Amino acid sequence: MSDWWESLTAWHATHAHVARALLAGSLVSIVCGVTGCFIVLRRMAFLGDALAHAMLAGVVIGYLLMKWLFGLEAHAPAMLVGALIAGLATVGLVGVVSRQSRVKEDAAIGILYTGIFALGGLIASYFSHYIHIDLLHFVTGNLLAVELADLWTMAGVAAIVLSAVILGFRSLQLTSFDPVMAASLGIPVAALDYLLTTCTSLVVVSGVHIVGVILVVGLLITPAATALLVSRRLSGMLWMSAFFGLSSFLAGYALSEWLNVAPGSAIVVAGTLQFAAVWMAAPEHGLAARWLARRRAVPQAFREDVLGCLQRDGREWVPWKVLTERLEGGATLLRRAAEALSAAHHVEFSRDGLRLTDQGRDEALRLRRAHRLWETYLERLGTPATDLHRRADQLEHVNDERAVDYLDDKLGHPLVDPHGAEIPVDSKRIVAGAIVRVSLLREGHQAIVRRLGPAATMLPLAIGRQIRVGPRRPDHATWTIDLDDGSVVALDHRQADDVLVELRD
Amino acid sequence: MSATVGPTIDGPPAIEIEHLTVSYGQVAALLDISVAIGAGQLVGIIGPNGSGKSTLVKAILGFLRPDIGRVRIFGQPLERATGRVAYVPQRGAVDWDFPVSVREVALMGRYGRIPWWREPSADDFRAADEALETVRMAEYRDRRIGQLSGGQQQRVFMARAMAQGAEILLLDEPFAGVDASTERAILEVLSRMRAAGRTLVVVHHDLATAAEYFDNLLLIKQRLYAYGPPSAVLDQELLAEVYEGRLQVFSRLLAGRGGAP
Repeated sequence: MSDWWESLTAWHATHAHVARALLAGSLVSIVCGVTGCFIVLRRMAFLGDALAHAMLAGVVIGYLLMKWLFGLEAHAPAMLVGALIAGLATVGLVGVVSRQSRVKEDAAIGILYTGIFALGGLIASYFSHYIHIDLLHFVTGNLLAVELADLWTMAGVAAIVLSAVILGFRSLQLTSFDPVMAASLGIPVAALDYLLTTCTSLVVVSGVHIVGVILVVGLLITPAATALLVSRRLSGMLWMSAFFGLSSFLAGYALSEWLNVAPGSAIVVAGTLQFAAVWMAAPEHGLAARWLARRRAVPQAFREDVLGCLQRDGREWVPWKVLTERLEGGATLLRRAAEALSAAHHVEFSRDGLRLTDQGRDEALRLRRAHRLWETYLERLGTPATDLHRRADQLEHVNDERAVDYLDDKLGHPLVDPHGAEIPVDSKRIVAGAIVRVSLLREGHQAIVRRLGPAATMLPLAIGRQIRVGPRRPDHATWTIDLDDGSVVALDHRQADDVLVELRD
Repeated sequence: MSATVGPTIDGPPAIEIEHLTVSYGQVAALLDISVAIGAGQLVGIIGPNGSGKSTLVKAILGFLRPDIGRVRIFGQPLERATGRVAYVPQRGAVDWDFPVSVREVALMGRYGRIPWWREPSADDFRAADEALETVRMAEYRDRRIGQLSGGQQQRVFMARAMAQGAEILLLDEPFAGVDASTERAILEVLSRMRAAGRTLVVVHHDLATAAEYFDNLLLIKQRLYAYGPPSAVLDQELLAEVYEGRLQVFSRLLAGRGGAP
């Protein structure tokens, strides 16, 4: 215990500037990360950049005023206040220009931030003989020159900004998401906007010490954007962004020590690389995850083809080899299709082969029904016989229930397709106990009459009567019903639609 | 349950759709739609949300490749009808701060036929001005587009479609989000354009006004439920089938029109 404490104090005695730098950088990167979340969500990234540049003018003016009025050299609080005022003035002017003129906000920011930044540069160079601080530090940052006073300022800024975010969390969340609704609730939207810009100015002023005017936006935006990739909720995003800010600072600092390069550049490069890495590897929407999901996804059409193939084969267990030969797509795709179908309880598979479950058999019949109905429909439209099967192969995958029912009805509930193959009944609906139209039934079905629509009132049928469906007449458009007294009733399509019966097993 | 055939007219119909099926994946957005829309009519497309109204408009414009079926414009296949069909977008799709005058917007309708090396001719300006006259916007022609009200902007875009020389105009919800007097003004322009021989197809949302506004209505939900005069299409049973389970509303609606047809 005392050992490491002693070695720590010994290290601190010799490396005080490093300790200050680490502390300052950690503090600033966390606060920048948190504030940046709101900047990113409100699409104000460019405004952050503008604030960073405009503050240079404030720093210069603050410096000169204190020097002329009180003879104080490089008075830090005055420069901070000057920077803040310059930042807020920029934001206010951007608002005025974009509201009062035809120029849109992005162009207004472009005008004002360069204008105010250049004004600062102009004053600084005109009075260059008065100014005894290195303004270059503001441009590139100077992490290792952080003084104790700076550290206290940063701690103060962190305390103010974090308390504002914590106390105003819900209001900030709502104004960022839906400002109109927020205003209707009586939340002071404009005041919150100014609060947020003030916070941003504060963190930008602190951030400039670490990475400089040009790169401070990277400290503000990059961790927040990285956090956005992996967060579902704003609170989580704030935590993640604070973490990513800290980790990019520490990694960048280590990099700068190792390569002996400027820490500002190293920190922002580390943040950018971190963004790229998270973008690749993010669990839900990352590039790698999406690529994997796309690779894993088996096209619906292929899954349906597998079911059709199993159904046609007729054997209970169909060997893998048979399927790979009959279907284009290869063994890997087939394997994944089998997994997807098994998850849907449509097939079971073993090392040797695949087997349809009862559910899978129903599904295969449904597809076959869709295929043969499409084929019949295409033939009626006059599609050449050579095209029929190929086009129906594509169209059978359009098999939503309404569409298939419509085709069936429009075609007059055909029994066979153009090749003479039987069109299966709708196995989901034609089950014992179901109430269905007679038009959907086939020869041999037994049922009890339950309801008679307007077209069926003239028929010699009564509610509760037992019926057996007889063969369709050769015109395919006349249904027959056998009654228990031996008589036969003939129905046309409309009448068959209007007789509702309860199926018996 | 067969598709209703459009009214008979002389010459080929303005829009002829045969057995049109368009699918998105497993679901058919449009199924077996066959309809012939005669020239010089004002037709409303009605149907619930997600019923395929905009898919149908896109198909008529040729933006979609149908699974089956075809669209003919005045008897010609769609590919040979470029410029004969114009589309008037919803208001939201335009940057209203764009520096362009009303007359320039109308003139844009002619851009398809002005080669890039030539200035717009007097004929082009005349066509643009005539179109603005038709929609009663001629006096505003030097205004910037952003200075107009919503209904006026809509009319300028209709003028652009006219200047284009299009014989068929497809309008996507022109009555959405405008007040009653603007609705009247737009309707009047539609009538004037019809009188000038144009065929107008309008995606429409409001069943209450559909009967009053249109010569014919086209009721779709995936498939064509009815095409014909409003008295036939606004049938209580039919509407109840298409707009599932909202019968009450419709019976009141139809009662408001003076009883079911």
